[in-house]
Amino acid sequence: MSTRTERDEPGYFGPGQDLFGIYHPGCLGGRQAALLCPPLGQDLIRCHRLYRQLARALASLGLAVLRFDYHGTGDSAGATGEVDWSRCLADVATAAGQLRLRSGCEQVIGFGARLGGSLALAAADRAQFAELILWDPVLDGPGHVAALDALQSALRLDGNRFVAPRPAAALADQWQGFAIGDGLRQPLAGLRLDPPRRRTLLVCSSAADGNADHHRFAAAGAEVAALSQPTPWQDLAHLETAIQSHELIDIVGRRVQEATYA
Amino acid sequence: MHEHASRFGRADHLVGICSLPDADARSTGVIVLNAGLVHHIGPFRLHVEMARQLAGRGYPTLRFDLSTLGDSSASGEPLSREQQVQSDVADAMTLLRERSGCTRFVLVGLCSGAQNAHLVARDNEAVAGVVFLDGYAYRTTGFKLRHYLPRLLNPARVARHLVQRLRPAQPAGSGFRVEFPPQARVREELAGMLQRGLRLCFVYSGGATGYFNHRRQFGECYGRALARHPGVSVSFLKQVDHTYILVGDRARLLDDIESWLCTHFPHVDAPPETPHNVVAIR
Repeated sequence: MSTRTERDEPGYFGPGQDLFGIYHPGCLGGRQAALLCPPLGQDLIRCHRLYRQLARALASLGLAVLRFDYHGTGDSAGATGEVDWSRCLADVATAAGQLRLRSGCEQVIGFGARLGGSLALAAADRAQFAELILWDPVLDGPGHVAALDALQSALRLDGNRFVAPRPAAALADQWQGFAIGDGLRQPLAGLRLDPPRRRTLLVCSSAADGNADHHRFAAAGAEVAALSQPTPWQDLAHLETAIQSHELIDIVGRRVQEATYA
Repeated sequence: MHEHASRFGRADHLVGICSLPDADARSTGVIVLNAGLVHHIGPFRLHVEMARQLAGRGYPTLRFDLSTLGDSSASGEPLSREQQVQSDVADAMTLLRERSGCTRFVLVGLCSGAQNAHLVARDNEAVAGVVFLDGYAYRTTGFKLRHYLPRLLNPARVARHLVQRLRPAQPAGSGFRVEFPPQARVREELAGMLQRGLRLCFVYSGGATGYFNHRRQFGECYGRALARHPGVSVSFLKQVDHTYILVGDRARLLDDIESWLCTHFPHVDAPPETPHNVVAIR
């Protein structure tokens, strides 16, 4: 279904009008909406364009779409060091409610990449998602924390970035450009996510990554799709390179169309 | 400080966020331009932190996306990129003027943002000042001496250099490559800005050491008269990277910009008019 969509609208919402979002209207009377949960940290910036392209693609299929920033991220209120896992989960639910209110759609699909996928998954019940589409979600929190810490250590010595190594203290309590507080580090360090009890598509960038997780999700009834190319999520050389994948947008679009005509 | 999200522009195609002081707004507004292809929050959220800090000190500040970048769309006009940038920034000035009452503007730009700021400041009479982060500079004899001499006098570095030359080229890291206009033209345009009374702040980072490696180089590039002009401020942050990835480096940069603004643009205006046409998701 291809329909002419209205212009997307930026604005603030939430109890304190402190969450930033951009609403992409779908076609009038559409049955489904999609909430795009962004990743955290540098992944949010790297995925911004892809999220916008995905939002427009889904809106052109008739879905109302909301992309937004959690408290302490993007254009939302709050300092970067204030990002808090529990608050992010609450923000997902708030954004889902906002999307229902704005679009009139009851059925909301939750989409997220990396930690955005983890948040969509962890907040699925609270946000009452009808379906989840997760792209390389972080399921092993301790492993993710260790990887980000290692990347931060390597950053100190990155000759492509700094003229000379920086003192370790200058990089403390940060992950690749962003201040990290206990409200994010501690919950992530204990995070273990299980497959959800709802219709789910797990999109994986590389078949080699986390095979055990793929099997766990498949065993729980999730569909698993693999991209033909790996995505350089944790690569210092590509830290400021945008993440692009037309293949991902195609896969999500097809999935949404299947759901629409199911 | 409070913020408003807006869709604006001659084709209603631009998206930006105004950070407005709650009281005692200054008569000078600040407009932050895109750094490369990063959307308006800036590298590592630099532009959000900058806008909020400056608005907290009384400067109405707008961060926005130029046509086709970030959340903004194309205007649909048959314009060159230069014309489009000039028109987009003029639209941004109109928005900030409507929202805050400010009458003149300081532009802030990093890398390609600095180039766009130069382009606009050259022709737009409403520009009162510019902060150029890793803006234009040119390799001088002094640059080459500072760059090559230590290497030539260090056998280990010579050997390392030769080994690197023999290796296949490495993929590009976070380094950047931009095309600069002729030096004489830039010198003339900067002199023209100063003649019009603009205040210019140049900050070079260690990420620019491929073409700028000492504060003195600014005078070598543009002449002593221009470098010593009271409207010019130059600093070189050698340890810092191009996009200010470390929290402490960003904080120092923002404090420096705030201090420069307070020195050169201290005027406080009457309280701003009530904002209107606020776009909110309801």
